[in-house]
Amino acid sequence: MSRDVEKALADWLAGGGDRIGEIVIARVPEGWELRHAEDAGHADLALHAQPEAARHLANLDAAGNFRPLKTVPTLVRGWRLVLGDIAAVRRALDYFYPAMTGAWLSHTRGELVPVVLRETLGRQTGMYRVTQKLTDPQARELIDRVCAGCLKHRLWEIAAANPSSPAFPAGSLPLLCHEACNLLVAQAREVVKKAERAVT
Amino acid sequence: MLAKPDSALVIVGHGSTVNPDSSAPTFDHAEALRVRGVFGEVHCAFWKEEPSFRQVLHMVGRDDIYVVPNFISEGYFTTTVIPRELELDGALTRRGGRVIKYCEPTGNDPRMTDLLLRRAAEIAPGVDPAQTSLLIVGHGTGLNENSAVAAKREVERIAARGLYAEVLNAYMEEEPLIAKWDEYSTQPNVVVVPFFISDGLHSYEDIPVLLGIAGASPGAASAGGREVFQRNPYHLRGRTLFYASAIGTEPLFADVILEQVAAFDAVHAA
Repeated sequence: MSRDVEKALADWLAGGGDRIGEIVIARVPEGWELRHAEDAGHADLALHAQPEAARHLANLDAAGNFRPLKTVPTLVRGWRLVLGDIAAVRRALDYFYPAMTGAWLSHTRGELVPVVLRETLGRQTGMYRVTQKLTDPQARELIDRVCAGCLKHRLWEIAAANPSSPAFPAGSLPLLCHEACNLLVAQAREVVKKAERAVT
Repeated sequence: MLAKPDSALVIVGHGSTVNPDSSAPTFDHAEALRVRGVFGEVHCAFWKEEPSFRQVLHMVGRDDIYVVPNFISEGYFTTTVIPRELELDGALTRRGGRVIKYCEPTGNDPRMTDLLLRRAAEIAPGVDPAQTSLLIVGHGTGLNENSAVAAKREVERIAARGLYAEVLNAYMEEEPLIAKWDEYSTQPNVVVVPFFISDGLHSYEDIPVLLGIAGASPGAASAGGREVFQRNPYHLRGRTLFYASAIGTEPLFADVILEQVAAFDAVHAA
């Protein structure tokens, strides 16, 4: 296997890593325990033992709303997930924070290439082609509004790659955004359409 | 029996920003295939959810990667969006030491006919097919032209088996309209199967309203939406009507996904 995400995760945990997004990971006799960071020290948590439980825990917020973007800090509390091995931990994290362990490994290998917003919008077709009309001020406002509610660290800029090499807090596995997500592209469409309606 | 421990499987779906049931069948099929251990690793990716098409290849460890679109037909997503977002060169892409094998969409599989028949029999147990009209419902707009073609193909195949008194296409937005089901179906029993990859607004709310088995109630596409499948049969307009959930929720879709991989290998001589 040319890219071993599980080994990278195991090495990170062995090196003292214990935090990803809103989740803390701790060594327990049965293996590994994941819980919401705000539930640290709580004893009255619902126990889960299968990585697939993470899919359902991550699906809805406390008010029952669907969470299409999993890095919005609305993960429900009140649970703990005890898993026997690293493969299960990785699978659970893929549900809680999809692609984030893999993107982080790619980043450490220099393989996570940021894509500027202009390039992302430039290749859109169909109903999203109109996003190519998004102005820079509109894009800035959009990023401030939409991305502010996301825990990911944005590696891309509007038109030029971000030259800085970000430093991440020790012990925390960074959530990396190398390209604008479809939610932002869809919002860009709304901004352009709204501006066009205002003119006509 | 397919065994590909050195390969990864990536199932790609549409997903939704508002409805968790859109991606649910794709995740379910991936979990089923993971348990079977056919592939070294199994991942999902979505247009509207995470992991996205742009993220998913970072999750993959193995260099031999099969990509199976969980879509009801070939069309805009399978021919334009997925190849563009995954940066595919065609059926076979070699990049950075990796080989990405782009398979046919699940809806193209010849097994679809059997799955539709199975679903139709399941929801109307003990009902004589010889006195039943089977309606396969598609979306049916210009944008989804190919899904209408696929639905027509399935109706022809099912009709050719001669089991049901009649097998008919119906669409939400073009003729023959599902709203007029009682005008063109002739049998005392009517079985309706949505030819969609997942349940959602269309199968929970739009089609039931058009059929006349549910009132227009905004928000029915929430968790309670699937109750509409549990109230069979419906007695209305002088008929007995049975309404099924979307065909893509059928667990045997996991086998259809495997079939797409086997079909790729057969064509490209793995």
